[in-house]
Parts: sequence; structure tokens; C-alpha cells
Amino acid sequence: MIGNILISIAFIAAATSGVLYFLNYKGYQNTLNFARIMFHTMATSTILASIFLLYLILTHQFQYKYVYSYSDTSLPLGLLISTFYAGQEGSFLLWALWMAIIGIILQQYASSRGDLEPRVMAVYSLVQSFLLLMITPLVKNPFALIYSEPFMASANTINSQFFNLPFLANYFFTDNSTGMHYVKIDQSLVDALKSAGISLNEFIINGRGLNPLLQNFWMQIHPPILFVGFAAMSVPFSFAFAALMKNDYKEWIKQSLPWTLFAAMVLGLGIMLGGYWAYGVLGWGGYWAWDPVENSSLIPWIISVAALHTMLVQKKTANENSIGAFAKTNLVLIILSFILVLYSTFLTRSGVLGDASVHSFVDPGYFAYLLLLIFMGTFIVLGGGLLIYRWKYLQQITPPHNNILSREFALFTGSVVLGASALVTFLGTSAPILGKSVQIEFYNEMNLPLGILIGLINGLSLLVKWKESEGKELLRKSIFSLTAAVITTVIMYFVGVKDLKMVLFAFASAFAFFVNAEIAYKIFRRNFEKVGAYIAHMGLALLFIGVIASSKYDKSIDVNLVKGEPAEVFGYKMVFTGYSPTEDGKYQFKILIEKNGKKYTAAPVMYYSDFNQGIMRNPDIVPFLTKDIYISPISYDDGTTSNSQAQTVQIKKGESVKIGEAEIEFLSFNMPADAMQKMMSGGDFEIGAKIVVKSYGSKYEVEPKYGIRNGERLNETVKIKDANLQISLASMSADQGMITLQVEPYNQTRNENLTRKEILAVTASIKPFVGLVWLGTVVIVVGFFIAMIRRLKESKV
Amino acid sequence: MKARYYIGGTIILVFLGLLFYNFTRTNIEYESDFVKVMQTGKTCKATGVWVKEKSFQEDIQNRTFVFYLRDANNNEMKVIYRGTKPNNFEIATNVVVTGKFENGVFHATDVLTKCPSKYEGQNVNTSGS
Repeated sequence: MIGNILISIAFIAAATSGVLYFLNYKGYQNTLNFARIMFHTMATSTILASIFLLYLILTHQFQYKYVYSYSDTSLPLGLLISTFYAGQEGSFLLWALWMAIIGIILQQYASSRGDLEPRVMAVYSLVQSFLLLMITPLVKNPFALIYSEPFMASANTINSQFFNLPFLANYFFTDNSTGMHYVKIDQSLVDALKSAGISLNEFIINGRGLNPLLQNFWMQIHPPILFVGFAAMSVPFSFAFAALMKNDYKEWIKQSLPWTLFAAMVLGLGIMLGGYWAYGVLGWGGYWAWDPVENSSLIPWIISVAALHTMLVQKKTANENSIGAFAKTNLVLIILSFILVLYSTFLTRSGVLGDASVHSFVDPGYFAYLLLLIFMGTFIVLGGGLLIYRWKYLQQITPPHNNILSREFALFTGSVVLGASALVTFLGTSAPILGKSVQIEFYNEMNLPLGILIGLINGLSLLVKWKESEGKELLRKSIFSLTAAVITTVIMYFVGVKDLKMVLFAFASAFAFFVNAEIAYKIFRRNFEKVGAYIAHMGLALLFIGVIASSKYDKSIDVNLVKGEPAEVFGYKMVFTGYSPTEDGKYQFKILIEKNGKKYTAAPVMYYSDFNQGIMRNPDIVPFLTKDIYISPISYDDGTTSNSQAQTVQIKKGESVKIGEAEIEFLSFNMPADAMQKMMSGGDFEIGAKIVVKSYGSKYEVEPKYGIRNGERLNETVKIKDANLQISLASMSADQGMITLQVEPYNQTRNENLTRKEILAVTASIKPFVGLVWLGTVVIVVGFFIAMIRRLKESKV
Repeated sequence: MKARYYIGGTIILVFLGLLFYNFTRTNIEYESDFVKVMQTGKTCKATGVWVKEKSFQEDIQNRTFVFYLRDANNNEMKVIYRGTKPNNFEIATNVVVTGKFENGVFHATDVLTKCPSKYEGQNVNTSGS
């Protein structure tokens, strides 16, 4: 109840403050104070609602559907907190929470800068109203009670001491396909419990828990940062829209620059943290898979970075007589970057991606889908409409173009290339909406030449001067960086970068790196605050080189490691030394890695997850300066029931399966009439499976047996020497007419004490210079931060 | 001044041409009708449901995983995947396999499982006890 009230208040206050701010902008002086009060009411309610949800999660109030669906009592504190945003409702609330906090700062910022506040805050409040609307009790409500709609709760989350309540029998259900028991929780059950004096919180004592895929360190870091980025992206939009409202395009550039830098910095960091999560924990093998969900947040990032560059040009070229170059471009790009954030939300939340993405949310329901479309549509219409309305005027006041050999033009070209890259990614990502899908190759093929251009243009743009440059001077200034880039490229060529496009990409990246490094070095001492852009560019160049090395020149191999027996993998001696359970019920498989007398250990993790009903695997990485050894577990065989050459096959009655040269057909069960009854009562029984093995033209009829004899488990193996096979019956399902056979070569001895071999199968990879990708990311963030501080100082009137 | 627009225009046209070419070339269609999957012979993404009642084969040594998929019209198709059984395979409501149908078998290079429980509530088909 409290949560619903708080969210509703926040929504109403957001909408009201938007209207009041707008009225104030329209000339009603007396609404400003009330608008501010409403805005802070919104922020306070949103913060309180978030605290309340956190309180519900921490105190395990499983009568709330959201708490039940994503958390349980076993989660450690950090992960328990992270269940706040494990589902759609909570992640929208988190977004709104960041909007509220950023909004308080923005209001301060805007109120001290001329007549900015009413316009900017009106737009910002409108965005926040939409976000809050998404989580009001009418749409996707994080505070919904579990019985608001009849809900099937797993029986093992229910306090078993109440199972003998007579009225509960009507609410027990069993899922026939899985054999799981459920309790149907609805209003009538809640009423019945209440009259029996039992509260729902006593009745439901556990939740469904958090998906193990999300249960790791990065779940606590990546989503919150990404959402700060999403929230921050609405600030530059508010400034751009405010500029269009006033029809004044000079001030907003310098006022929004620090915000744009902040948004791009945080969003970029969030994206790359997601990449690190995928690489280091989820075991995707790489940091970037061009997955639609990853792409969809990359697209607005690229556009906002493009906008940053042309905004700088406009700021630099503006004077008393001119609004500066690329005023239209900047408005378009900033509005676009925000709409693309909404588009990203739409793609990942609406279910339209469906089968295309590994981690898209499932269908949220028609109403939420429609609302997301309206959310996006509103801002497309508002932003686009106002832009078109002002276009003619903008055309008139835009100054003529500059010289080609000028920094203005170079930066513009850079932004165009960034835009092209965003367009490529946008097309590929949106293809599933049309029922199509592109291969990863599409992104790589198209973005690689653009990456080369970006490196070259970045270097060149810093060598040419504002307004006009001379060719000769340009050549003279580029001698150092060109030479250094050529040397680097030659070295990389001899190390193994032979592919022409990759050579060009390496050259372009190295060129950009050295141009920026030279400038950064020169100004580092006397002009530190201006060094941000150069550092960020160096970071990008490092990241590019990391991408070249790690994506194109990695090596990978599947190996079976027998316990205690060293195997040679890429020049490293690897020994599987055994496994040990971890505190959280997983298993670590220890591998000793040795080279030139130096020893390292890797411990990839595998475990069975009840939640996913399957084996989960986490890789482990041994990082070196020049490469990562990446070990991804595949399977573990303890050698007792099978060995490396064994195969498990499941055969339906009357069907056959081919294994190597042999064809195995399952004819029928040989089941004595009383076998079932004996099996139930725990007595001795034997069940056979009649199978026919055809191999090299011969036919063998055999019958492996399964059962209990003299109280001991019987698992008779049938050996067929001529077919080089031994077959045992691992399990069976009589009602489905299925058997599972263990099939292995004849000469495999099964004496446990003598030849028991524990085998760990892993994929071992060498990923060269992947560390540069992370180093580059950190350097970029540092650069952005320095630039942001500088532009913040400049933004003061 | 005019030359600049021509050059710019040409670059944009070349880029768009390349974009269109690569988009078409690398395009994979989603196909939920296995009859069409078997006919095209092109790489596609076939979506279906795992036929649990039918035989499957998991060969750790050679890293192949063989199973059957069924589409909405009850057409069944044998799938050979070079790899290990993916996480979540047992509870997947839908399986998307990327690959090509050749010689009576679908050779998958990628298997994607869609799970109901991943982010949202699990829909349970129940029957009274």
C-alpha cells in the first residue's frame, strides 16, 4: 500500500511540476515556487519508494510478488540488494530513482543559469513522468501483492507446518511434466488464511530466488551504472529541447556540455562493464557479442559522442554575430541520442527481440508494450516536431561552411563516420523486428572500415588548425606520429597482424594514439585541465588495438584433462588436480598451469542449478600483461560410471540410434508382471531392455538389465566383442517407453580402483592483449572525467 | 563548392550501397516452418520446441549433441550441434538453432534457448491433483 501511494504521488508530482514549470516559462511568475516544491515532492517520493522496496527485499516480504519472484533467503547482502533491479518493475524504479537524484542536481544547476530552469525542468519532468507512469499500480507495479492475480507458488517456498490445514488441499497443484508441487495463492486463500489467524508473510517463507546467471559480483555494479547513464542522457535532451523552445541556440551548448560528457562517460563505462561481465563470468568467450541488447545501448552512446564533437565546434565558432557551426547537427544528434535510449528500452523490454537476444526480457504484456511505444513516440513527435518547426529559422542563421582543411570540418567528418557506425549497428539490431537477423559478420565487416576512418580522422583533426590549415604545415606536424605509427604497425605485422584491413586498423589506431600522446605530453604540465580529450582518445586507440589483437588473433582448443596427467596446451603444461566445493554450493575445478618454471592456477566453476535445471559454467582467467589464458569448463567426468569414450544415448521404443559404426535399436522392455510392484515396495526386481545392435553387417540381440538383486543395485553390462561395444542400462522410463544407455568401447575396463580416470573437459583459449580493452576503457573514462570538470567550469555564466 | 557536394554524395551512395549489400548478404531469416527450412538449403534460424520424447545423443568426446526439434505444425527435424548441450536446455520453452539443412539433418552452429524463468514469472501448466 505504502509503495503504491508513494509511486502514485511521485507520478502526479512529476506531471504537475512539468505543467507548472511550463506555465512559468509561458510567463506565469507565481508558479515557479510551486513547481519546485512539486519537483522535490516527486524526488522525495521516488527515493522513499525505492527505500521501501529495498526494505521489503531485505526483510523478505515474500507476500509482494516482486520480492517473491527475484529474491530468496539464501542470497548474501550484496546480491539481495541487487534483486532490486533484477526484474522490469524494479529496473524502471531504479531508472526513476537516478532521474530523481540527478534531477535535484539539475534543478540547482539550472536555477543558477539565467532563465534556464523552467524550460529544462519542464522537459525533464515530462521524461520522469513517463518513467514513473511505467511503474504506477496500473502498469508494471513493483509493489503488487502476490495474490493480486492468482499465483502459482512453488510448494517448497511455503511453510510446511501449514500443509495439514484442511482448506489448503484445494489449493495444491502438481505440474505433471515436472512433478513439481505448487500452491495457488489467490484472494480466497488469503481470506481463508486470515480467518485461521495466519499472515501471508508467515505462510510464504521463501522466494523463487535470483537467476544464478545474475548471481555474481558484476550484477551489483553493471546495471546501476548503466541506468545512471540512461538517466543522465535525458539531461542534454532537456537542454536541446529547451533551446528549441526559446529559439536560442548559443547558450545551451556550453550549458549541456558537462552533462553530455557525464552521460557518455557513465553510459560507456556501463556498457563496457557489461562486456567484462560477459567475458569474465558468463563465459561468452569475448567481451562483445553484438548481441542486440548490448548494441541497443551502444547506439545512443556513439551518437552522443558524435554530438560532443560537433558541439565543441559550435562552441568554438560561436561569437556575437553567429550561433556557430553545426547548430542543427547538434540539436538533431542530442535529440536522437535520447530517443535511441528510449528505443533501446523498447527493444529490450517489449519482447520484440524475442528469440534474437540472449538476454532480452520476455513479453511484458500488451499494455506495457503500448505504453513504451507511446513513451518513445511522444518524444519523437515532440523533439522532431519542434525541430522541423524551427528548421527554417535555423537554416537562416547557420553560418556558411568552413574550409575542408580545418579542424571544424575534420570534427564534422568524424561525427558523420560515428553516425554511420551507429546506423550500421542500428540496422543490424533492428532487423529482428522485421523477422530477419544479421550475422555478426555484418557488424564487423561494416564497422571495421569505419573504425579505420575514425582512427585516421581523429589523428588528423588534431593536427589541423581551427579555421584553416596548410598542407605543408600539416605534414610537418605529423612527422612524429606518422613515424611512430608506421613502426608500431610494422611490429604488429611481424607479431602476426597480417590481414590488410587489420593492418590498416592497427595503423590508424596507432596514429591516433601518437598524435594524442604527443599533444597530451606537451600540455600535461601547463594546461592539465585541457588534457581530457587527448587522454580519452588515447584510451580509445588502446581499446582498438586490444580489439584487433584479441578478436582476430585468439587461439582456442578443446582439451580433455585427465586428473594428474599433464597436458600440453599452447606451450603451457596444464594439470587438472581435482575439484573442491565452494561455500555457495558450486564446484571449483583446479587446474595447475606451468610454463618455464612459473606456476599459475585456474579454477573454472561448474554447478547444477535448480533454478535453471541445468549445469551452469563459469570460466576462469589467468591474466598476463600481453594476454589472457581463458579456461572455460565444458564437462566433468568422475570416471566411476563412465569414461571419456562413453556416450549416453536415449532411445525410444522402436527407434534406433547410430553410434559410430553400430546401430542400436530398442525393441521392448522385458518387465516381469510383478516388477513394478516389487520396485515400489523396495524388493528385488529386474527389468531388461531388449535391444538389437547392428554392426559391420552382423546383428546382435542383447538385453542389459537394471534392478535390485539381494538388496544391491544391479546394473548389468552387456559386452559385444565383435562390435567393440559394451552397453549398460543407465536409466529408463517405462511410461514414456524410453531407455538411457551407456555405450562404450569393449576394451574399456571398468575396474574402479585400477583405471578410474577423472576427466575435465575444457576449452582453453589464449586471448592476446585483451587487457588493453579494459585499460583503454579506464583511460577513456579518466579522459571524459577531466574534460567534464573543465567544461563544468566553463558552463558558469 | 559544388565539387564538395558531389564527392560527399558519392561517398554516401557508396556507403549505403555497401550497407545494403552486406545487410542482404549476412541476413539470416527466422523460420518457424520446418518444411521451408528443409527446402531452402540456406543458413537460417529455425525456431522450434525440443522433442523430449525422442532420442537424443550427447557425445562428450566429439562434442556433438544430437536432438530433435518440432515446429508448430508438428514437423520434426533432426539437429546436429557441434558443441555441448547448452545451459537451460531442459527447461527451454523454445529453441532457436542457427544453421543449414543438409542431407536430411540440420547442422547447427549455434543453439539458443529461451527460458520462461530467466527474468519473468514461470508460467506453469497445472492440473488439479
